[in-house]
Amino acid sequence: MPPISEALSAEIVELLPRLRRFARALAGNPSDADDLVQIAIERALAKSQQLREGAPLAGWMFGILRNAWIDEARARARRHRVFAPEELGEQVADPHSARVEILPVQQAMERLSDEHREVISLVLIEGLSYREAADIIGVAVGTVTSRLARGREALQTLLGEEQP
Amino acid sequence: MNFSEETLMAYVDGELDGSTREQVERAAATDPEVARRVAAHHALNRKLRAGFDPVLEEPVPARLVSLARGAHGESKPGALLQFPVRSVPQRSWVQWSSLAASFALGALAWHFASRLNSVAPITTSRGEFVASGALEQALNGQLAADQAPAAVVQMGVSFRSRQGDYCRTFRLRDTAAASGLACRESSGWTVQVLVHDAPAAQGEYRQAASAMPATVLHAVEDSIAGEPLDSADEAAARARGWLPKR
Repeated sequence: MPPISEALSAEIVELLPRLRRFARALAGNPSDADDLVQIAIERALAKSQQLREGAPLAGWMFGILRNAWIDEARARARRHRVFAPEELGEQVADPHSARVEILPVQQAMERLSDEHREVISLVLIEGLSYREAADIIGVAVGTVTSRLARGREALQTLLGEEQP
Repeated sequence: MNFSEETLMAYVDGELDGSTREQVERAAATDPEVARRVAAHHALNRKLRAGFDPVLEEPVPARLVSLARGAHGESKPGALLQFPVRSVPQRSWVQWSSLAASFALGALAWHFASRLNSVAPITTSRGEFVASGALEQALNGQLAADQAPAAVVQMGVSFRSRQGDYCRTFRLRDTAAASGLACRESSGWTVQVLVHDAPAAQGEYRQAASAMPATVLHAVEDSIAGEPLDSADEAAARARGWLPKR
């Protein structure tokens, strides 16, 4: 691994709270989310020379974390085909998460499709522009717009609210 | 005027150019139906932020901080605002064993302490920085669960340190914005860590994170025994004057 600059390390540390929020929005479960953050840091450090001088770190890291999440989701889908559902349903009790109240909006996010969840996480929770979100996901801005519109509609339905 | 859902959504997300934005604003001012649809989008956005923003206030797990720091966990001379807790693990985290770090705390603390009146939030006493004024009042009396958003001092988490003292993180918006950690010792609340808040990021992202600086979170992780206090524990600690049951 090439040497990592101290400045980059410090920037990643500063970004950790936001990376954790983004991961929580994608993964739902706090420990899965922190595992995603861990994978994202490892990957970022391993290919830090790909980060262009002066390029915003946040967008780059969000992209790495988002790709890690996609990889995990694919791996999970493979496991689903191999194991019986009951085995997957078993979860070790997590004393931390047991105390945390799950808000309706968090439950609703977990029930969204991956496509809708990622775009809502990037734009509405992390505050990225449509352009930045489009670059991270690798789609056109128009696709971001339409996914956002459908994702919002789905969220509002899940939350039992009137449609705009 | 009839706006598509995508246009109203883009308006709420700050994505419209000037002229379309003005059209939506005019319509929202006169057409209750447009106003209602815009308000519904705003309400959903607020709900999402309320659901996930609390993650920003959680302490970041130490393993993630260490991983990101890689080989840079050791503090170096010149990294003045880095609290050197990790570089001196053999000594108490409350001890100011590094001259550089003392200077860093001191320079900022002096900024607060040097005002020639009785309301300075930090004063010096026997070589330590002690909370006074509004900061002391907030540390003594203000519960995290019950504080005005506009208060000069915002309390973060409260916890018991490994030494058994009560410690609390705070954010101070005085003549400078700073975040820190103070612990209740026999002489009062001594300020252990104090760092400048980074100015809110502008432009690149519309919503700036409101997290405690990593330096403060790091100091919390290094000193905390068990879990942070919940609101009931916090109220009980306040009732005891933040003095531990011995």
